[in-house]
Amino acid sequence: MSESPQNVVRADKGADDPPAKGEPLVLLELIQRLKVRDVMTSTLWTVPRSATMHEIQEIMRLKKISGVPVEENGRFFGLVSIEQIIRALGGGYINEPCSKHMTTKLVVLEDDMPLSFALRYFDRYHYGRFPVLDHDQRLVGIICQRDINRALLVELTNELDRLERVTFRTPGEDSAYSVYVLREFPICKYDFENAGKAATQIKQLLQEKKFAPRVIRRIAVAAYELEINLCVHSDGGVLSCQIANGRAEIIARDAGPGIEDVAWACRDGTSTANEWIRSLGFGAGMGLANVKRVSDEFEIASKKGSGTTVKSVIYVEDGKSAAG
Amino acid sequence: MTVLGVADVLQADVLVKGDACQKNVRHVVASDLMSDVLMVDEEDMLLLTSLASDQVLRTAQIVGAIGVIIVNGKPLPSSMVNVANDLRMTLAICKTPKFEACVAVHEALSPR
Repeated sequence: MSESPQNVVRADKGADDPPAKGEPLVLLELIQRLKVRDVMTSTLWTVPRSATMHEIQEIMRLKKISGVPVEENGRFFGLVSIEQIIRALGGGYINEPCSKHMTTKLVVLEDDMPLSFALRYFDRYHYGRFPVLDHDQRLVGIICQRDINRALLVELTNELDRLERVTFRTPGEDSAYSVYVLREFPICKYDFENAGKAATQIKQLLQEKKFAPRVIRRIAVAAYELEINLCVHSDGGVLSCQIANGRAEIIARDAGPGIEDVAWACRDGTSTANEWIRSLGFGAGMGLANVKRVSDEFEIASKKGSGTTVKSVIYVEDGKSAAG
Repeated sequence: MTVLGVADVLQADVLVKGDACQKNVRHVVASDLMSDVLMVDEEDMLLLTSLASDQVLRTAQIVGAIGVIIVNGKPLPSSMVNVANDLRMTLAICKTPKFEACVAVHEALSPR
């Protein structure tokens, strides 16, 4: 008889709720940027359907784990938890095959989902762990809250290290050659929920620093177009804005997939965007051309199969743009 | 005429009154392509669009628009009012189709 997990519910990406107001931005960026596969445990101890509950109890004891997936030749059938082992001990059926007692009503996650979905599902279902499947329905890992805590601690430490290296100074506070505004924002592929937030923050920061409105507008437009480009066309990247020595440098850097013909991509009206992106109001092929329009200097370096770096420089002198 | 005045002409429901809701409209852009909106370099601009998404508001904020009116009665995503509040951007919605809305706004803003 062919068996497979009954009523497997795959987490619905569209069911994600907007983040609560006031959550720390760094944490929000991390849980959007990190994928389930970055966090899950991929070294798995699995058993076939014929394994007894007692054999699973021994695996749990020796490997110090609390859930064992039931799998044969990459096909996932169910899960046995430590609670089921305790029930088997109490009920006197510890030597029976696990196929009779495993959980087959499962909620599973996909390995390429953002970590935010996994968090949402832990909150919603109160399970201790979720099996993780790839696009071919093969079991590739298990994720529990301990995995998430560990990954977030590592990433937050890295982020703090990076932030400590960044210098914030106010205009006129130091010599003319100091860096006084430097921000970096990780941008995720197809994350339209958050696309544009980085440029909005850059604009608000410049307004607080009392730059001239025309300068702010040009910097904001360049940052926004580059941010949307990262979201739409790249596999994810980083947008940075640095203002120093009378220049604003907005840099978008990604690790792929690269542009085959850079000159073509910079022409008005040329775009590789699909219908879905166009339905969201983007992909008219004006992005890079518009960045060039508002920039005093513009550079782009890309290679098909590797990354793209776009740099827009806007001259800023005493809060006024040289090219106005 | 202010953004709220234009909303009144279009019999629009004003969902959020932003910081600039009492400013006079000096330029109107009607477009569903945010890339086109980003090309416009005008002060005190009002955006008419049938695209109902958070990105419309972010685009409007980036170019310094003073308000957004969604035409064609498009249903709004639930997040849109929150984003408009966060950005302190006036947001209104009307049932008038875009072309008719443009004609009505043009007539309302033309000197008599």
